Amino acid sequence: MEIPYTVKPRPDTGLYNGKLGIWLFLASEVMLFGALFSSYVLLRVGAEPGTWSMGLMDIKVGAGNTMVLIASSMFIVLAWAELKQGNLAGYKKWKWATIACAVVFLCVKWSYEWPSKFKHYDVWLNSATVLHEKFEKGYHETASHSEDGDDEHGHGDAAGGDVEKYVEGIYTTRFFKESSEASKTAFKKAWDNGTLALSGHINAYEEARIDVRITGWKADAGVSEADADKALAKFSDADAAELRQNGGSLPEKTDYDSAKRAEYALGQAGFTVALSVVGYERVEAHPWVWRTKRVTEDIGGKPRVRSIELGLDHSHHHVITLDAGDIKRLSAYEPKHSTFFGIYYTITGLHAAHVFGGILIMLYNMLPIGLALWHKDREQYTNRIETFGLFWHFVDLVWIFLFPILYIL
Amino acid sequence: MSDSHDSPEFIKYLVNLFRIVGVVLVVGTLVTWWIDVTFALPLAWAAVIGLSIALVKASFVVAIFMHYKWDKKLIMITWTMLITFFFFAGMMGLIMWADGDAPNLARIEMSAIWVVLASLLGLVLPASFTVLTVKMLSQPAPVEAAAPKARRAAKKKS
Repeated sequence: MEIPYTVKPRPDTGLYNGKLGIWLFLASEVMLFGALFSSYVLLRVGAEPGTWSMGLMDIKVGAGNTMVLIASSMFIVLAWAELKQGNLAGYKKWKWATIACAVVFLCVKWSYEWPSKFKHYDVWLNSATVLHEKFEKGYHETASHSEDGDDEHGHGDAAGGDVEKYVEGIYTTRFFKESSEASKTAFKKAWDNGTLALSGHINAYEEARIDVRITGWKADAGVSEADADKALAKFSDADAAELRQNGGSLPEKTDYDSAKRAEYALGQAGFTVALSVVGYERVEAHPWVWRTKRVTEDIGGKPRVRSIELGLDHSHHHVITLDAGDIKRLSAYEPKHSTFFGIYYTITGLHAAHVFGGILIMLYNMLPIGLALWHKDREQYTNRIETFGLFWHFVDLVWIFLFPILYIL
Repeated sequence: MSDSHDSPEFIKYLVNLFRIVGVVLVVGTLVTWWIDVTFALPLAWAAVIGLSIALVKASFVVAIFMHYKWDKKLIMITWTMLITFFFFAGMMGLIMWADGDAPNLARIEMSAIWVVLASLLGLVLPASFTVLTVKMLSQPAPVEAAAPKARRAAKKKS
């Protein structure tokens, strides 16, 4: 059965079919996002002090992005008004502006907000003693600075050179958002138990160099000698046949991932391989989304990453070196980090997916294939833009609610 | 949107309105930002203020940008919207209830009545905002008032 497209409102519903359809769709979207909003609020009210938002939500960026999305919402409705007046050129102008705003919104998310979280870490240490020692070290400079009455950096809480006071000042405002009695108590408890996490940016780390040593070759593995030598030739310029018979190390010392790949490839060719750490190399880099496993991974009794240099604070200037053995848990601000980041990425990710889908639809409408409808039936095309606009306003609406919930709660 | 709203004058009137609403939305965002930066608000107040402003912004978007104000009111859509509003209002109430320090009347132990009142406040405040906004927005458009004949004609047609 074919349902005819009606550009005029139907007498029984008072709306044209497309509009009725989009409103039904939006009603179901309300339920989808409603479930996520409820989850967020329930998790929020049940959260312990200091476990929510971790001071990582920058309201400047959030407000900027809100305004960008509001602008795009206004532009799409202006584009529709131009179409209503039969002005295709004006429509195109506003439509491109809408697309530009949507792209800016996604770029801010994709290239700034999310990545900056993936590059920062919380590190929990094994013992309270080590934690306090590292804190002393990391903040000593600033704390002793203020002892001389030099307070030009605005670290008022460091008066008297008391590191604990100074750190409390940072952590209560940054992590606990407000400096209430409850947050002070929570800080004290975490500080005394050593459960507080050092948070910062990994400026550099020492990673293992791996020696890949061939210990033998199984003739009965079903690989011919020629094939085994060919596999070996990919990793070594030396005489393959001799290496196969007498064993020995591959000439190049590689990083762990390459060593693992070599181990696998050589294993397929019937070799038995042993990996060992021959030394550590300092790498100056900002790693993305590491897990605890990466730091503590054991290679013949030695850790894969021996130590990391953690830059504390926003400035990353209070650098301390942490040994792998002291680290209990390390996590970037990824979904796995905590409940907050789990729900944060779920909601903002779903919203971003809506924005992305909207961009695709808008581009389609602007391409010749989409614009063909305008030349065929102007009213139908106008209605199509109107219904798209309704969807777009809904996406804006969701963000209007997300903004206070994520950034100020 | 029905036929009576297709006249060029009305579209011009709409475009003006869209611009005004755009400014209102931006101002709402800036106010939220300003409040957050200026005051270290406890959770409950942050929720009430943040969500109230969001509700006002949302009602403007639905009424004007989505031009629901001039659309045939379908009971389904109206209820979807109303329930959404009450949903967010209820969330505020929930936060205040859970947080319990909303009207922190400088007492350590609060009796249950204050908690209930706080939740009610969380409901009533945004609900009244919403009702006010919708009332304000449902004033007839000046163009419509100026052309009663066209309106009557349109009514007859439908």
